[in-house]
Amino acid sequence: MGAPGTQRFRRLGELAFPGFAVGTLAGVVAGGLTALAGQPAGWAMVSAVALALPLGLVGGLYSLLMTAGKVRPGTFAPAALLWLVGFPLARLFQEAAARYAILGEPGVPADVLGFLAFQAIVSAGFAIGFLWMHERIAPQWLAKVATRNPDAALAYDRYAAHSRLLYSAKQARREAKAKARANRR
Amino acid sequence: MVDSSKVPISGSASGEAAASPAGERVWKAGGLEPMPIRPLPEAPPSIHILGPTVFLVALGVGMGESYMWPRLVLVFGPDIRWLFLIGVTLQAIVMLEMARYAMATGESIFTGAARIFKPLMWFFFAVAILVYIWPGHVSAGAAALEEITGIPWVVAACVGLVLVGVIFSLAKVVYNLLENLLSIMIGLLVLGTAVVASMVGNWSDVTSTLSGMFAFGYFPQEAMSSTWFPIVVGSIAFAGPSGMQQMWYTLHLRDSGAAMGSHIPKIRGLRHAGNEEQMPSRGYMFDTSDPEEMRKWKGWRRWVTFDALLLFWGVTMLVTISFTVLARAADRNSPDVKALIEAGEREAALSAMSDTFSSVGGPVLGTVFLGFIALIGMNATLGLFDSFSRGQADMTYFFVPGAKKLKMSHLYAGFLWGLILFGIGILLFGPADGPSQILDVLAFLSAFSMGAYCVVLLLVNNRLLPKPIRPKLWTNLVIGFGALFYLGMLFYSLIRFGVVLD
Repeated sequence: MGAPGTQRFRRLGELAFPGFAVGTLAGVVAGGLTALAGQPAGWAMVSAVALALPLGLVGGLYSLLMTAGKVRPGTFAPAALLWLVGFPLARLFQEAAARYAILGEPGVPADVLGFLAFQAIVSAGFAIGFLWMHERIAPQWLAKVATRNPDAALAYDRYAAHSRLLYSAKQARREAKAKARANRR
Repeated sequence: MVDSSKVPISGSASGEAAASPAGERVWKAGGLEPMPIRPLPEAPPSIHILGPTVFLVALGVGMGESYMWPRLVLVFGPDIRWLFLIGVTLQAIVMLEMARYAMATGESIFTGAARIFKPLMWFFFAVAILVYIWPGHVSAGAAALEEITGIPWVVAACVGLVLVGVIFSLAKVVYNLLENLLSIMIGLLVLGTAVVASMVGNWSDVTSTLSGMFAFGYFPQEAMSSTWFPIVVGSIAFAGPSGMQQMWYTLHLRDSGAAMGSHIPKIRGLRHAGNEEQMPSRGYMFDTSDPEEMRKWKGWRRWVTFDALLLFWGVTMLVTISFTVLARAADRNSPDVKALIEAGEREAALSAMSDTFSSVGGPVLGTVFLGFIALIGMNATLGLFDSFSRGQADMTYFFVPGAKKLKMSHLYAGFLWGLILFGIGILLFGPADGPSQILDVLAFLSAFSMGAYCVVLLLVNNRLLPKPIRPKLWTNLVIGFGALFYLGMLFYSLIRFGVVLD
């Protein structure tokens, strides 16, 4: 058991993990494919990290907002709003970092406002994909860490109602089957 | 025909039919065994729990969305996309109606068809075999993989097929495994295409793609030619899941435990077949005269509507928008793409698009594009192999005499491995899409089954379900329009141009 500060940090990290993982994965996949396509390893790495890191951070923020009860899990509007801001900024950061890595000087795309507006439109698509993945990973992850993280347990409870229903239906079937077996004997 | 228009009530479920010999309350529907009345489980408390739409998306987001629609946009401009909007919306409503029967009874739509008229169901059994045994999807995905990695496509496709068989056979519950696997792959696809579209597209690509969806009535003269008309109609029919894929969705709903599907055991992988519970010989019905049960039913309808609209409609729409943006970006940078597409060179057009992306954003984008095509091929293969085996096993188990001696898992595994072995044989020795002489017949059957399942839906939902849960008039009108549209266009194309849908 670490110091209270470390423990609090770890718990926050656990809560942020699902969104962080999905955001990072989106960036890393692009980076991995870059390497496969034979680009210089350095460029591929910069491009992947510069996209994965901000996407991961914004994704983690979504998870934190959700576990804190500020955002209802699985609803599209909050995720879309968050990515409307987060996605263009992440792409801008990637463009700037790639320019710096390749040309050796900082810079942004020529028409920054146009660039940001286009990225904002695409962000709606990214938000659907993000939500889709997040909803798959978050409940399972929260259940896994719930035993040691009370906030995760609380957040998992919101997801668990349906699982409990399915579980009780299964239990009822099992009991009925056992009863029928006993009757046969 | 038994009158099945009344509400199941205590002791007498169908009005004229009293309790079963065991004194159990039942609902008589069509010519088969009556359905016992069981409680409807509570619907998920909130709509955020994702449902089995993932299968439809996996099957639906195939070459149609990644190739056929971008191709039409390149040839006729983005305004042609209003037809896609109509096609995919029609399919979402069909999906909701398929769900109505499956969720109310826990039976597949195939059993529903058999309750109306058994030969109808055998028609679907035969069509599934004729149309879906050809390993075209896996070969398309493997060809894209070959471009990236250099692994010969036949090797990748054969290994992929065996891998699919092994994974499904080892699974404890096939549905759960596949749902998780497919959702991750589709999530990657959606995220990835969005990121790539953000890198290569621009403002006008997106706005013209979006505004084209509302250009109702736009239909250029060239589209009325024998070359393009069947392709346009085929693209509308295949916007989203095509052929029998909507029918298989009812089996996935059942296995996901949706509504009355929760009373039916799940299909297990071959290795765990021994743990499978005895499959009941028919589905169940809930007491539609009980307001509490009807409240739960409404909850389930909300759940499936969310599943259909946001996930199926939204994700399918999104992937095509992304791919259309990609195609337009490719067209801007390399006019060859359009010429290749007009010449009907599918593989050439895909690799030209990939080359264009490479020239715009470095080799990574070309590779990423081909990676998505490989991913789409893999999604479709997984979804299709599972769905085919599930559907055929279901029909065999319930309607082939003596089949109940086997477990559903054994039948499922039998169809699955049969499909895999046949696929490998064809990949090694024959044409992956099927013999060219009968391609037209297969395309015809696939589109014909879509018109046929609209008719089946109308009959099943309006004749076999209790009145309080039957579809509303406007829904029936839309499904009726679907039947007329699919069958009408098919025969019009056949008579006017002598060709069937692509």
